[in-house]
Amino acid sequence: MAPRSPRTTATAAARRTAGAPLGGRGERADARAKATGATRFVGDLAMPGMLHAALATAPLASARLTALDTAAARACPDVEAVLTAADIPGENLVGVIFADQPLLVTDRVRMVGDRLALVAARTPEAAWRAARLVRAELEPLPAVHDPVAALDPASPRVHEAGNLIRTFVVRRGKAIPGRADVTVEAEYQVGGQEHAYLEPQGCLAVPEGRARITIIASCQCPFYVQQAVARVLGLPLAAVRVEQAPTGGGFGGKEDYPSEPAACAALLAWYTGRPVRLILPRELDMQASTKRHAMVVRHRWGAGRDGRLRFAEVETVLDAGAYIGISTVVGERANVSAIGPYDVPALRVDTRVAYTNNLFGGAFRGFGAPQVTWAAEATMDKLAHRLGLDPLEFRRRNLLDDRRRTLCTGQRLPRPVLARECLDRAAALAGWDEFHGRIGSRGGALREGLGIGLALYGCNLHHGGQRLDRASAVVILQPDGSVVVRVGLTEMGQGNLTACRTITAQALGVDPAAVQVWQPDTTAVADSGPTVASRGAHMSGLAILDAVRRLRRKLDPVAAALLGCRTREVELAGGFAGVAGEPARRVAVAKVAAEMAARRIEPIATGWHRTRARRFDPETGTGAPYEFYAVACHVARVAVDAELGLVRVEEVAAAHDVGRALHLDALEGQIHGGVVQGIGWGTTEELKVDRGRLANPSFTDYLIPTAADAPVIKLAIVESDGKGGPYGAKGIGEPSFIPAAAAVRNAICAALGVEIDTLPITPPRIVAALGDAHPFAWAVEAIKAEPDAELATTARDR
Amino acid sequence: MAEARVAVSLLLNGRQRTFAVPPGRRLLDLLREDAGLTGTKEGCGAGECGACVVLLDGRPVTSCLVLAASADGHEVVTVEGLGDGDELHPFQEALVAHGGVQCGFCTPGLVVTGAAIVARGAGPHEHARRLAGNLCRCTGYVKVLEALATAATGKHGDGAS
Repeated sequence: MAPRSPRTTATAAARRTAGAPLGGRGERADARAKATGATRFVGDLAMPGMLHAALATAPLASARLTALDTAAARACPDVEAVLTAADIPGENLVGVIFADQPLLVTDRVRMVGDRLALVAARTPEAAWRAARLVRAELEPLPAVHDPVAALDPASPRVHEAGNLIRTFVVRRGKAIPGRADVTVEAEYQVGGQEHAYLEPQGCLAVPEGRARITIIASCQCPFYVQQAVARVLGLPLAAVRVEQAPTGGGFGGKEDYPSEPAACAALLAWYTGRPVRLILPRELDMQASTKRHAMVVRHRWGAGRDGRLRFAEVETVLDAGAYIGISTVVGERANVSAIGPYDVPALRVDTRVAYTNNLFGGAFRGFGAPQVTWAAEATMDKLAHRLGLDPLEFRRRNLLDDRRRTLCTGQRLPRPVLARECLDRAAALAGWDEFHGRIGSRGGALREGLGIGLALYGCNLHHGGQRLDRASAVVILQPDGSVVVRVGLTEMGQGNLTACRTITAQALGVDPAAVQVWQPDTTAVADSGPTVASRGAHMSGLAILDAVRRLRRKLDPVAAALLGCRTREVELAGGFAGVAGEPARRVAVAKVAAEMAARRIEPIATGWHRTRARRFDPETGTGAPYEFYAVACHVARVAVDAELGLVRVEEVAAAHDVGRALHLDALEGQIHGGVVQGIGWGTTEELKVDRGRLANPSFTDYLIPTAADAPVIKLAIVESDGKGGPYGAKGIGEPSFIPAAAAVRNAICAALGVEIDTLPITPPRIVAALGDAHPFAWAVEAIKAEPDAELATTARDR
Repeated sequence: MAEARVAVSLLLNGRQRTFAVPPGRRLLDLLREDAGLTGTKEGCGAGECGACVVLLDGRPVTSCLVLAASADGHEVVTVEGLGDGDELHPFQEALVAHGGVQCGFCTPGLVVTGAAIVARGAGPHEHARRLAGNLCRCTGYVKVLEALATAATGKHGDGAS
């Protein structure tokens, strides 16, 4: 069935009443096994003779390694192997794009957590005990911890070539510096974020002599793991099989990083000839794995009295940490996302990616867009305020729409452009007008505010990575009519198994319960690129539709023979193959499958999808960075205790342009999770970094939202017949996250009447921002007036 | 090196069991390694995330912070012991029906805490606070709390919300 056949443009509501799988709420494919604890994550897998791996890591952010003594570690009971860089048979390299990151340090330490040696032992306790006994002589070197300062040529160099990794630009229109009636200049300090997936990083490596190896890994991108292991072991890709284990959360944290632990476990397995399992302890996981990039975003934006944006200048610096990883790709997205879904005639964006000796920047839900969106939405509120306009009205005047649909890069957005629709629906759900009609918040310390965040998200890999934007699928019709599906993109909780099952069931006209989608395995499907960019369901889905199309070339003639009709008259629906227009003439798909088996007709088909090639000029930042886009709008209502600086997000109204809903529970679940994760990033999740060391690597000190913090979430699912994936579906994973923290920021600032340009907005930052407006400022003033008086807290801090 | 062992006898998911474990063994490891009950997960090893919650004499505890030896003579129920044969606990069933399961790693601990909340008959306004010791990074807790409300009122959800 073609994704754009007339049937697929029927309204979602009509399809739902027809009882078709699409857009329903059928039980999620993996829910029952997970709810009973029956699902086996990699930490639940064990094999006879299996060893446990541990890592010896560097405690300093910048140092020269002058000696490494592993004798004490080797002498520990139960230790089977202690390996260093000299033991690597292939390349000592794990960088996914750039060759700047060794698996094991040879001479130079560049971040806290750099690996020095690997241990395999008979118990995890013995392995970690031995790892702590690896003695490294480290000669401290100057380090750099401020990404903006890092760009100064006089700063200590993290790598020989200097700290500027890449610069991305967008240049559009003239009149920069532009003239405008009001201009807002600001510098936003946007903090990073820890993924805090509940399942720590982990993998199991199972060698077959030194001929080949199987890796079972908690990961988003089995093909990345395959490449890394093959390179480190010096094996051809075909000799490395990566099977994705059920993965307990990813959010980008299991995109590129799992290649590192996998290469460690693989190396130990290679040497010992035994299965080796590595599970990272939470503290090391939080220190060493990738984080959302901290960014510094500088703005100079202008608008006219007519309430229209005139120009925008944006300068962004990303803190990549000590290795590039995929920071350049994150920078690419941050660059073209810098002004959100607004129409700006003149634009100048500079996005620079800098090395530092801080935490390792990497992929995290939104991929560079949330930070620049947070800044853009703050500036939009400031401009509205300066113009004396309602922030809602100011946005309405500047949003892209079906007539005015040229993106900042000059690309014309595919219609329909639903930014206005999303804004109005979210504002209505939030009761924007009613709230502002309600005069005077309750006095006292408790203040209420509403804030808006809008995001435009390109639902594919950026032009720079489009060579990876393809997907593979295999569909096998079993003799009993059940269906096996293999895809190359992963389930990590977001619902890809359920989406793929729904799409297959819809396309083959069978009950979803008849379809089993199995976790990816690099020997079952072709390299499908990474499960990122909210592309999982739509790329897998289009590959499945292609496979079903090919399968039907074999299935339909058999069905036609059983039905006594022409092949092109065969229709599949409700578990039956039928004759078009003659509901009485039908035969069960299971019967057709049995007949295919009896006739020895090939019941397997492969499918493939790749995005269309696009043009984009990196020199000017003009062209088509993405194929199609999704819009999202969140409106947050907060209550802020102005004395203590405590924020309670009471309610979030979220409107999402999703194309078509594939599965409502999965879709809503993504939005709920994205909103709450965004609230955490915006308010409580502060990465406290002390000279490159994470000072709060635990859930007690790094605060992610709990059930008691979750707000009421109201949803508007905006469906349309536009450009998208299977049946018109667009990604939701990241759009659900991006606007949330911005909406919360604007709500807090509206509640308090101050601007706060640092994320996260923690209680101390709120109290500091209130300054003289703080309810107890008079008390501080009184103390200041008495030179001898000291606050108890300042005395204690000395 | 022969290690000293202590005998731990406990009523585990309704069956009397005895294990000989090193004195420092955590209850979590007894369950996962010695009893083979891998449904109970380890997310942090520090009692912070709640993935390892089990019922000890009917009370939810983080099993990574409980010494196995201290469970001697007590009753332990894990996620595997909540249902009745093929029949799931009402909260498990409600989680499945409401789409409250995503990555599933926190789910076993969440299920056990939720079962304790249901057993004590806490009112819905208490649910979020009582569930706050179980971190979930996927769901935003919305469908989890819907499922808990359904289970607590004894209604079997059909998933519609």
